[in-house]
Amino acid sequence: MTRIDTSLEAELDALLLADASALDGKDMLGWLGNYAEEDAASYFCRSAENTEHDLALGFMYDDCRARLEDRVTFVNDIWVGTFQDYRTRHFVQRMNYERLDAGTVGMQSNFSVFMTPEDTGVTQVLAAGQYLDTVRVGRNGELKLLSRRAELDTSVLPRYLVYPI
Amino acid sequence: MTEMKLSWPKNYNEVPKEAFTRKDIYAEEIKRIFHGSEWHPVAHESELPNPGDFKTFRMAGVPLLIARDQQGEVRVFYNACSHRGNQLETAVMGNKTEFECPYHRWLFDTKGDLVGCPNHRDFLPGFDRADYPLAQPRFDCFYGLIFVTLSAETEPLLEFLGEAQNTLRELVAGDGRLKLLGYQKVRYDTNWKSYTDNDGYHAPLLHQAFKLLNWQGGKGRQFTATRHGHICFESALSVVSGPTVLKDQSLIEFKGQDPAVGSRIVSLFPTFVSTKHLDVINLRFATPIDEETVEVHYAYFAHQDDDEEMARHRLRQSSNLLGPCGLISMEDASVFHRIHIGNHTPGSAIFQKGVHDPSKLESEFLQNDESGNLPRWEHYRSVMGFERATA
Repeated sequence: MTRIDTSLEAELDALLLADASALDGKDMLGWLGNYAEEDAASYFCRSAENTEHDLALGFMYDDCRARLEDRVTFVNDIWVGTFQDYRTRHFVQRMNYERLDAGTVGMQSNFSVFMTPEDTGVTQVLAAGQYLDTVRVGRNGELKLLSRRAELDTSVLPRYLVYPI
Repeated sequence: MTEMKLSWPKNYNEVPKEAFTRKDIYAEEIKRIFHGSEWHPVAHESELPNPGDFKTFRMAGVPLLIARDQQGEVRVFYNACSHRGNQLETAVMGNKTEFECPYHRWLFDTKGDLVGCPNHRDFLPGFDRADYPLAQPRFDCFYGLIFVTLSAETEPLLEFLGEAQNTLRELVAGDGRLKLLGYQKVRYDTNWKSYTDNDGYHAPLLHQAFKLLNWQGGKGRQFTATRHGHICFESALSVVSGPTVLKDQSLIEFKGQDPAVGSRIVSLFPTFVSTKHLDVINLRFATPIDEETVEVHYAYFAHQDDDEEMARHRLRQSSNLLGPCGLISMEDASVFHRIHIGNHTPGSAIFQKGVHDPSKLESEFLQNDESGNLPRWEHYRSVMGFERATA
């Protein structure tokens, strides 16, 4: 990167925060709305351990827009009333970005996610790791996620996952 | 062995909830079950396909190193240096030609032989490297599935598996020639017995997804194998046709060659659950952490003969269908937690569905019967030495 692009940085941060906010608010349609409306839009959640050993399997493997939409259905319709709910707080921090071409930016961020189960009320760390994002720059300059890989340092989860990380 | 007091009900369909929560009982389970006369699956050979590949795993706290040597043979070692017992390998998996203990630089090859130790002239007179290979537990293999037992008394593996052999062989695609796709690892806040009670057995009422996907349950066979109370399920899947709520139908598509029996589950005493569901092949290596926690490593596989499309299908299906975030099993995970909380109340857990006469044990069940767990409980009771009440 030769020059700091403060306006791009501000928009990338806004996208990061919009996603964190949607997830912490359990607003799955808001979460979906952060992704580009393209068939190739994707979200993967996988342990870094799998990635480092060339194992492609994930905790969540939504490799197309249809699967992102289905994830909204899982949470909003299929799983309702079957699990102990928990709150999350996502803390995100942009570490790096680079323009890949006129229409896309690559971004790497750190995240940590706290969880507080509704029954115990005891807060613990749910996961920590990195987001590896490809961000689509729209015609009017608006940013959407084309692809997000949540790579979890947490190879052993402390609980099942209902919501994406 | 210590005698523990636990009042076990007369009826076969009742399990005292104390068995799930008492620390003294857990300590005794480690001795009698996990260090006792049972076989414990710890890996499948396909997790370490190449010479030098290894995996480490802690079976009820005991550190194991499973390694493939340069000639291709797989062995199980204790993951501890033969000198002072320092943990030898810290990585969860990897590839090495030698394992070196950093403490005093003892060096072992992939056959477990001690091939180097500096300054051995300072050791006891007559010190011979050949006397210090890595120690090994007893282990054996069934279609690539590697089992360990810490007791010399345990019956041979094939006898331990008994009638479960056929279902288990079919579950690993008939020949065990698998290819690792990856892991989902998780800890559940539950006693290991609540996990095994509820992971194989599936309450159809719980699974909202089954209803929304228009899947019919209950058309299948469940039977018990051996005195250990292993449980096998074999059932046909009514593959979804027509519209569902899913936009990407590939998640529930069945491309396999085994339509008559689309779903198989083998649950081996004490903690192993495995399943082949649709095109997912899933082996779950589970181990207790303490009396309130169980850690489960869900390992997923393709078959070595899969073409690219099939391997990709299995990868996409495996990641999203089962496991701690899977469409049809996330709520199981939640039930593990809730059952454990509920077990901190007086009385017994009472099994109902499929129980015809509480004074008798059966060995054939319908697919959704919860009574399939009862032979395993009888084995547990007997191994633990709990007296059943006579009245």
